[in-house]
Amino acid sequence: MAMIEVKNITKSFGSNIVLRDFSVDFEQSGVTVILGPSGTGKSTLLRCINGLEKTDKGEILVDGLSVNNKKNLRQIRLACGMVFQQTVIFPQMNVMENLIMSPIKLLKTPKGEAVDRARFYLKKVGLESKEKSRHNELSGGEQQRIAIARALMMNPKALLLDEVTSALDPEMTREVLNILENLASEGVCMLCVTHEMQFAKDVASRILFLDGGKLICDTGKEDFFYNARKENERINKFLSFIGD
Amino acid sequence: MQEAHVYGKYAHFAIGDLYTFLSSCGTTLTVTLISLFLGSILGIVIGLIRCSHNKVVCTVPLVFIEPLRNSPLVVQLFLVYYGLPVVTGTLLDVYSAAILTLSLNTAAFFSVLVHNSIKAVPVAQWEVGYALGHSKASTFIHIIAQQAVRLLIPQAITLYIGQLQCSSILSLISLRDLCRVGQLLTVRTMQPFIVWGIVFFLYYAISFPLARLASYLEKRLNYSY
Repeated sequence: MAMIEVKNITKSFGSNIVLRDFSVDFEQSGVTVILGPSGTGKSTLLRCINGLEKTDKGEILVDGLSVNNKKNLRQIRLACGMVFQQTVIFPQMNVMENLIMSPIKLLKTPKGEAVDRARFYLKKVGLESKEKSRHNELSGGEQQRIAIARALMMNPKALLLDEVTSALDPEMTREVLNILENLASEGVCMLCVTHEMQFAKDVASRILFLDGGKLICDTGKEDFFYNARKENERINKFLSFIGD
Repeated sequence: MQEAHVYGKYAHFAIGDLYTFLSSCGTTLTVTLISLFLGSILGIVIGLIRCSHNKVVCTVPLVFIEPLRNSPLVVQLFLVYYGLPVVTGTLLDVYSAAILTLSLNTAAFFSVLVHNSIKAVPVAQWEVGYALGHSKASTFIHIIAQQAVRLLIPQAITLYIGQLQCSSILSLISLRDLCRVGQLLTVRTMQPFIVWGIVFFLYYAISFPLARLASYLEKRLNYSY
């Protein structure tokens, strides 16, 4: 059974139908990169999987639990950590508190253990010296790396990454992508919405291409960048536009 | 000159007047502080109800808030002190009427501040809380409330200063507050400039440090998200 099963979902905002009768499955392994033009429902798909948006029709199952059932949401969200486009650090807390608050409150992790794990993840994202820093002492890239570490602190089975580099300058983008590449090499399961083609080429094990709320292509990266673009005019146009 | 001479017969301050001023200052502060405390508690409850996503539930508090925000405090005071006993058959003493009126008025304004402060916390903060697995209540308690309180504090202090000054209206129902004592001493001494100068100074002495505190906290607690 797939870890995440998206079954015939439709999602609209007013008269704008963002996802149309959309179905896809995700296994608990590898890095799936979701590509497509803006407004095609990539972020909405991740938000629906995480239960942040309600679907109009259809069903999403995470580990066999339906997202439509409110009682399952906590378990589903613990299973699927999510990092957003905007950098969101809790401003009233320092970096360490940002990381340990949720495991202590939700997973009842003892504080000492939570602190040790936080230091482990801070080292992983290269910010071990910043544990006492506040959000206004961190760059955008550092904040985003903290957000990734914070999501990892909850031991998710998969990470949902919603254009995590789109608000960052090229240097900061590289910082964050390096971290994601390291995580991918360690086998962390990720679903990434991104426009970073090099990242997709380097780490993706599977690529989904969405257009107009529909799944146009679901294939491996080699096939996508060499065969699919030759066969599908829409994919070719998209890749040409973004300079690939 | 003749008039000045006559007035001069009354124009003596006694040491006891100083005590009268300080005692009335105590009355003003006591009534105001009790009212602000009660009004703030009630305002928090109403403000939280206003934040409900249920359209009916969030609209109900407006029945309380809007009339109190859109009518003069003095009218509310007369309604409570003179009007309410006619309906209930129970006379309220001046203290009870003053505290009741000022508490309800404070609650109406404070609830709006609470509501606005919670709404001013970016939606992304809620979403990160949910995405981490927090429930709505847990997100509010552990993530949102502290940010909302920081936004609320400077505005609350500004409201408190305003309510302290508005409390002078309570003298109209003969509460022996700072303003009422000012009226009585003016009649007795016929030295309005000195009397009201002292009243002015005492209000200023209480309000100014609070205003500076609000200004300091506004800078200190401000977040740049």
